[in-house]
Amino acid sequence: MLTLTVNGQQKQVDVENDTPLLWVIREHLQMTGTKFGCGAGLCGACTVHLDGTAVRSCQTAARDAVGKKITTIEGLTVGGKPHPLQDAWIAEQVAQCGYCQSGQIMQAASLLATNRDPTKAEIVAHMDGNLCRCMTYGRIQKAIIRAAADIRAKSGA
Amino acid sequence: MTHIERNSLRRRSFIVGASATGLAFGYVAANGIKDALAAQSFGPTAWYSIGPDGIVTVMVGKAEMGQHVSSTMCQIVAEELEADWSKVRIALPNNDPKYNDPMLGALITGGSWSTRMNFETMSRAGAAGRITLIEAGAGLLGVPVGECRASNGQVIHSKTGKKVSYAKIVADGKASKTWTPDELKAIKLKTPDQYKLVGVAVPQLDIPSKTNGTAKFGIDTMVPGMLYGRPVMPPVRYGATVKAVDETEARKVKGYVKAVTLDDKTGTTSGWIVAVATTYEGAKKAADALIVTYDKGPNANVSDQTIIDEAKKLQASDAAGQLFVSQGDPAAAIAGAAKTVEAEYLTSINIHAPLEPMNATAYEQGGVWHVHTGNQFASRTGGIAAAALGVDPKNLVLHQYFMGGGFGRRLDADMVIPAVLASKAVGKPVKLIYAREDDMAMDFTRPLTYQKVKAGVDADGKLVGLQHDVVCAWPTARWGIPEFLTPAVDKKGPLDGFTVNGADFWYTVPNHKVRAILNELAQRATPSGQLRSVAPGWTFWAVESLIDELAHAAGKDPVDYRLAMLDGAGNNAGGAKKLANALRTAAGRAGWGSVTLPKNTGMGIACVSSQERATATWTACAATVEVNPTSGAFEVKKLNVAMDLGTVINPDGVKAQIEGSTLWGMSLALFEQATLKNGALQATNFGDYTPMRMSEMPELDISIIANNDPPSGCGEPAVTVVAPAIANAIFNAVGVRVRSLPITQAAVRTALQAKKT
Repeated sequence: MLTLTVNGQQKQVDVENDTPLLWVIREHLQMTGTKFGCGAGLCGACTVHLDGTAVRSCQTAARDAVGKKITTIEGLTVGGKPHPLQDAWIAEQVAQCGYCQSGQIMQAASLLATNRDPTKAEIVAHMDGNLCRCMTYGRIQKAIIRAAADIRAKSGA
Repeated sequence: MTHIERNSLRRRSFIVGASATGLAFGYVAANGIKDALAAQSFGPTAWYSIGPDGIVTVMVGKAEMGQHVSSTMCQIVAEELEADWSKVRIALPNNDPKYNDPMLGALITGGSWSTRMNFETMSRAGAAGRITLIEAGAGLLGVPVGECRASNGQVIHSKTGKKVSYAKIVADGKASKTWTPDELKAIKLKTPDQYKLVGVAVPQLDIPSKTNGTAKFGIDTMVPGMLYGRPVMPPVRYGATVKAVDETEARKVKGYVKAVTLDDKTGTTSGWIVAVATTYEGAKKAADALIVTYDKGPNANVSDQTIIDEAKKLQASDAAGQLFVSQGDPAAAIAGAAKTVEAEYLTSINIHAPLEPMNATAYEQGGVWHVHTGNQFASRTGGIAAAALGVDPKNLVLHQYFMGGGFGRRLDADMVIPAVLASKAVGKPVKLIYAREDDMAMDFTRPLTYQKVKAGVDADGKLVGLQHDVVCAWPTARWGIPEFLTPAVDKKGPLDGFTVNGADFWYTVPNHKVRAILNELAQRATPSGQLRSVAPGWTFWAVESLIDELAHAAGKDPVDYRLAMLDGAGNNAGGAKKLANALRTAAGRAGWGSVTLPKNTGMGIACVSSQERATATWTACAATVEVNPTSGAFEVKKLNVAMDLGTVINPDGVKAQIEGSTLWGMSLALFEQATLKNGALQATNFGDYTPMRMSEMPELDISIIANNDPPSGCGEPAVTVVAPAIANAIFNAVGVRVRSLPITQAAVRTALQAKKT
């Protein structure tokens, strides 16, 4: 039995220590916004935050998440208020099939947490590990730039 | 899709009547009205319903895999219905035949057909609903019907401004009407100047749920008490059988239940096992721990080169294949030509790799089987699942979901077989998920294609005769559905038109033959499938490369050369001139002939009429490519794409589809290749099968040509135009021609070296 902190809530899960965090989140906790794409850290669909850092949950053993704050796409909306990236994703009509987009948004959120005015090159470098099979890359870039501007405007920076 | 027998809407009535959840609107067979009106058989099902809260729910029989077709179908209904867009919702039907596409007679999504084929039907459904609501609303307002109109979910009495909402009309419960087929046909649909939603970039209804994790895909299905399964795939793509399974190590895995060796009576799979456990991580560990002995079967020695060798042998035989196009006498024309050009074009095996791996959740309940999975061909897939179980298809419900990518992969049915057979074997619900490696190894691939062309030109360089042979596995013939095949023009039986579509192009060529040849060796070893754009993805690779070669051989500008052949003569009336306009648009936007390009940078052009001649979307691309003349390394700097698709329902949705399909075309042209070795697909994961990443994206410039022609599809055509445009640009940059896809740096370098010597 492991105790995990997911989106601010403590969860007891009966899993092996080496169970990938992905399956703990998706199947044991039934929070299905986090997606399984490759199981090998090659596509980014399973991206979540561990203490604010974007990680591939398919490559993270459950025991390594104990004592850390796990944030999933479901936890990005705080108090019913969407993250600026989620608003920007709608404004730019980014998603096609949508399957990779939770991971894309989580990956982008970790960029904007430390860089509120990323250049296009910084965005590409940060996002290149996240595969979008529908190839919505252009709109992902636009949405990140829009969200960053939104965050700066709201903070008066 | 010209050869599918279409169910005539003329035989169908449209009825509006009260249902359990409000007011239901739907088409029914003319002789079925009485039955349909009985509440039992006419639930809030077919087509759409309006609840007492005014929410309009449209039942979308089209598979939603990112093309926003579900939203588009809603948009078409809402336009004529005068619905409030903020109150429109999508519902996905199961595989009940009552939801069949009225044109196609099945639940199937592909071919970029959906908008083209459903526009009028959905429009009439919306209009009949609006008129019925206006009549009911006028009654409630106590005013003459003729003085009322509908707008934004309300019926309005124009003189007094008195209004009643659709919600109130539904709550009143009296609206009811049966429209005969003739009455339906007589409805005057809106003209484009009256559109409020069609042609407007309204927000796609499926997008918000895809930004917060709430969108439900098949893989998200949860059933109480379910077990998990992971397939164990054999060491060859097809033809293996399981000789023995050693479970010793698997039994040590926590939660292990059993290994189920599939006895697949449908022949869809061969030599598959499912490891079942109480958790997915357990199923995965157990699958890895099973020690399986196989008989690899008859295809274990087949590789890419075996398929190519066989294709060349078949092509060399005059007796092989059937004719798809036969016009004039190309052999004589080529014999008498001033100059002849012969060339071979190849395309590699490609796999779909949608990001949501194949999966299905299955269980039996009260004598009925339930299968949860996102699928593009629910009619066939439900039937296959039932056949695998040996149950009546009426007792199998396929529950539909959003798809984490389709691209044609989910037209197939393989994923339901391990799910239902494992569930049957363990007597419990089973959620079956392919690991990525399973998904890639067992893809129903775009087949390896070999094409041989022989062309003759006259003294002016004009193309006077063309023989075009296409040799590959036949993906659609594999389905065994005669309606999907095309009669050969030489009466040699049906051929798979989905291997040669596009070769019947809109250029005027007086003597022209296209031969479709089935490569049976490839068909057995690599069961192939429909990969986004299917045949035009390879036929136009050959045609548009060849036309460029001929233009250069004649010393003519490749755009001018094409325009001269797009003269609209005879059978090419109408379409050819539209394609010419798309070609001019792409070339013009790119600055064809007017910009000075840097050294070793070239611009290439191509134009296509994908998908089928009868469903053409007029598409052109100009590619700007910089090539290193020593190393062969090259970079696609820009793609200018122009597309004429008639009426545009949602301009932003169309743009999104063109963006995605253009990049798909480039990804297939440069980055994606699967090889077959010893009967097995070598791709394992995204480390060795490598679709385009963000850093590889070129600059895009997209032009949408919208007019008032009927709408055509936009999800696939751009896939087919990019590869030849890039190859033609490489030629214009450094003077070398690559005739095999994908185009690699090594291939360009080899060609450069050959040119030097």
